[in-house]
Amino acid sequence: MKHTLRIFSLLLGLAIVLCWAIPRQPEEGGIAKIKERGFLLWGSDAEGGAPYVFPSPDDPSKLIGFEVDLAGAIARELGVKARQSQNAWDSLVPALQRGDFDFAMNGIEITPQRKQEILFSAPYYIYTEQLTVRKDEGVIQSIEDLKGKKVGTLSGAAAQDILEDIGGVDIKIYSGQVEPYEDLALGRLDAVLLDLPIAAYYAKPNPMLKYAGPPAGEGFYGIAIRKGDDELKRAVDEILLRLLKSGELKSIYQKWDLWNEKQEGLLLNLGGPAGGARLEESRNAPLHTFFPMLLKGAGITIFISTASMALAISLGLALTVLRLYGRPPLSSLATAYIELYRGTPLLIQLYILYYGLPNIGISLSPVVAAFLGLGMNYAAYEAEIYRAGIMSVPKGQTEAAFSLGMTQTVALRRVVLPQALRIATPGITNDFIALFKDSSLVSVIAMVELTKTYGILAASTLRFFELGLIVALLYLAMSYPLSVFARRLEDRLKGVKG
Amino acid sequence: MIRISGLHKYFGDQVLFSGVDLDIQKGEVVVLIGPSGSGKSTFLRCINGLEYFQKGEIHVDGIELHSINRTRPGKKDLEAIRNVRLKVGMVFQQFNLFPHMTALGNIIEGPVTVLGIDKASAVDNAVALLKRINLEGKVDCRPEELSGGEQQRVAIARALAMKPGTMLFDEPTSSLDPEMVGEVLSVIKDLVNDGMTTIIATHEMAFAREVAHRVIVFDKGEIIETGPPEEIFTNPKAERTRTFLRRILKD
Ligand SMILES: Nc1ncnc2c1ncn2[C@@H]1O[C@H](COP(=O)(O)OP(=O)(O)OP(=O)(O)O)[C@@H](O)[C@H]1O
Ligand SMILES: [Mg+2]
Repeated sequence: MKHTLRIFSLLLGLAIVLCWAIPRQPEEGGIAKIKERGFLLWGSDAEGGAPYVFPSPDDPSKLIGFEVDLAGAIARELGVKARQSQNAWDSLVPALQRGDFDFAMNGIEITPQRKQEILFSAPYYIYTEQLTVRKDEGVIQSIEDLKGKKVGTLSGAAAQDILEDIGGVDIKIYSGQVEPYEDLALGRLDAVLLDLPIAAYYAKPNPMLKYAGPPAGEGFYGIAIRKGDDELKRAVDEILLRLLKSGELKSIYQKWDLWNEKQEGLLLNLGGPAGGARLEESRNAPLHTFFPMLLKGAGITIFISTASMALAISLGLALTVLRLYGRPPLSSLATAYIELYRGTPLLIQLYILYYGLPNIGISLSPVVAAFLGLGMNYAAYEAEIYRAGIMSVPKGQTEAAFSLGMTQTVALRRVVLPQALRIATPGITNDFIALFKDSSLVSVIAMVELTKTYGILAASTLRFFELGLIVALLYLAMSYPLSVFARRLEDRLKGVKG
Repeated sequence: MIRISGLHKYFGDQVLFSGVDLDIQKGEVVVLIGPSGSGKSTFLRCINGLEYFQKGEIHVDGIELHSINRTRPGKKDLEAIRNVRLKVGMVFQQFNLFPHMTALGNIIEGPVTVLGIDKASAVDNAVALLKRINLEGKVDCRPEELSGGEQQRVAIARALAMKPGTMLFDEPTSSLDPEMVGEVLSVIKDLVNDGMTTIIATHEMAFAREVAHRVIVFDKGEIIETGPPEEIFTNPKAERTRTFLRRILKD
């Protein structure tokens, strides 16, 4: 056991050294390369990305959105075609730095803190933050009324800072733009604060929602360009200015209903705004200041995994017993359950539980949905492990039990299951460790567990590396004792003494 | 008293028994011999309901087992089978001790979970049984820590702990090393001398000759000859019995 630990630390140390030792690839950017390639590769996230970048409702294989139009115009001015590179929004900046595409354009707010990492083009849009509430809302009139309320926003968005500055707001962080409004309509949130373009597309047409107060805050979207690629930055700035003067930019925004007087300010604001000092602080904050949040996330991960595993273990046992010994309708139902849950992605099961069930009138809280989702999914796997265990108990054992006058049930409980569980133990503990890691999936249903906490912290500080290592170590610190415990348990079940 | 009449047993389309009859008196010791595959095990297993049969009747101490032609036996059938099992103990060729329990645990399992006897008196009785089979030192050993002969003796004690009226032995010494056969046979002899109704399927001819009141010769699912051991072993009537004995005594 000591051995394993030593090898582990060695590997980890090696990984760290390697990460530092490999130099960042100095991406040879520049216009020449784009022209030679024949297309401009731009990064963005089309998942829930309306009206920025999203699949066309008429032809989902085609992307549309005001940024698609803008990217097209920029590419045209460069004499090439535009091609989108799909990336999770959170990881656009790291992907850009890695050299995955030429630039990123996806509602990325210009902040001094981001400016340390990347170059920004001149602003191409002036956004404001729009507060949205339910139609029947009487109390919340503006941002000032949000104290003590549940307010949804996006991870890493400027709105998050505004909410944090108010203080006392119960902030719920989402990774998609659809879900906060969905939860608002369902009553899970009291309000949503997000960039106006998002509100214009997702909230305005929803008859259950309305805007509250005038837009707050003000900021700029800029195109993110790799540091050192000044040639591209200059070219993009020039093109933006040209598009602005020619009125093409205005007509793109008008097409998407995004034009307002504010945008006139674009001409005055080629340099970008100030602000975001608070983020700057977190960028340079000592690591230990993140621990309370990370530990809280780890606590939630432990809680949700343990509770779901308990459900999986007991429900799985019931399923196996029904499948093997139940009367026909029950046994086939159990089989169908197992096949259904094993044959469909956990992610979809979670979406259906959390976002689908409300359509038929059942609204689960995130914790309950996460517990049921993980537990019911893993129950199917546990059931199969038990079944394999039961099948591997020799037939003679049941016959000996029967010959003592035991009924089927007693024979199962006293003779077959104890032996089957012993055989199944390694599989069950393996699954527990897997569930531990799969629990990060519940972040899609607004549970802020460890992985989600990491995503939020890293997205706002860009410290993906250090925070990532810490989070990985936290996971290891949780799963390693589990496997040690599993091995002990196995030995004890085997009757090994000492 | 056990009465088997008109027993028919099929495995799918394959017919094993087509009308086997046999009566066994209380206290009688019956030994089943015959070539491999002749149906000795299946016959024993039918008596305690480990195999269902398709036609005929089996009476064990007044309890009636009926033929079962469905995939799932009915409630009444299961009840009858269980009542028979409470009166009949069985010892298997492979011992089939419960590996997750100690020798003592194996022996008290039936009395405690099936009969509901309180644990203290079940333990007293189990210790007495272990003494009787000379294993009082192995109370806390698990099956894997016992030799084959010791395991089989514990298996016999486990069956006896249920205080059965009849004992079935299916080749109790066939998977033992030769030096352990004796200790198991002497435990069985001891039982037989106490007057236990006993049915034994075995290939140990000398033992059969010594303990049997009556020898039953099976071949291809039929009883081809029955009689007292002296008669069967010295003056068999059926040609097939002679062939079988000649072959087995030569080995
Ligand atoms: N579950 C089963 N399915 C199909 N055929 C079976 C089954 N059990 C037994 N048989 C067949 O029934 C016949 C009798 O088998 P049985 O085990 O009763 O013989 P046996 O006299 O005990 O033989 P042995 O001396 O080898 O133990 C054999 O032909 C065997 O192949
Ligand atoms: Mg046999």
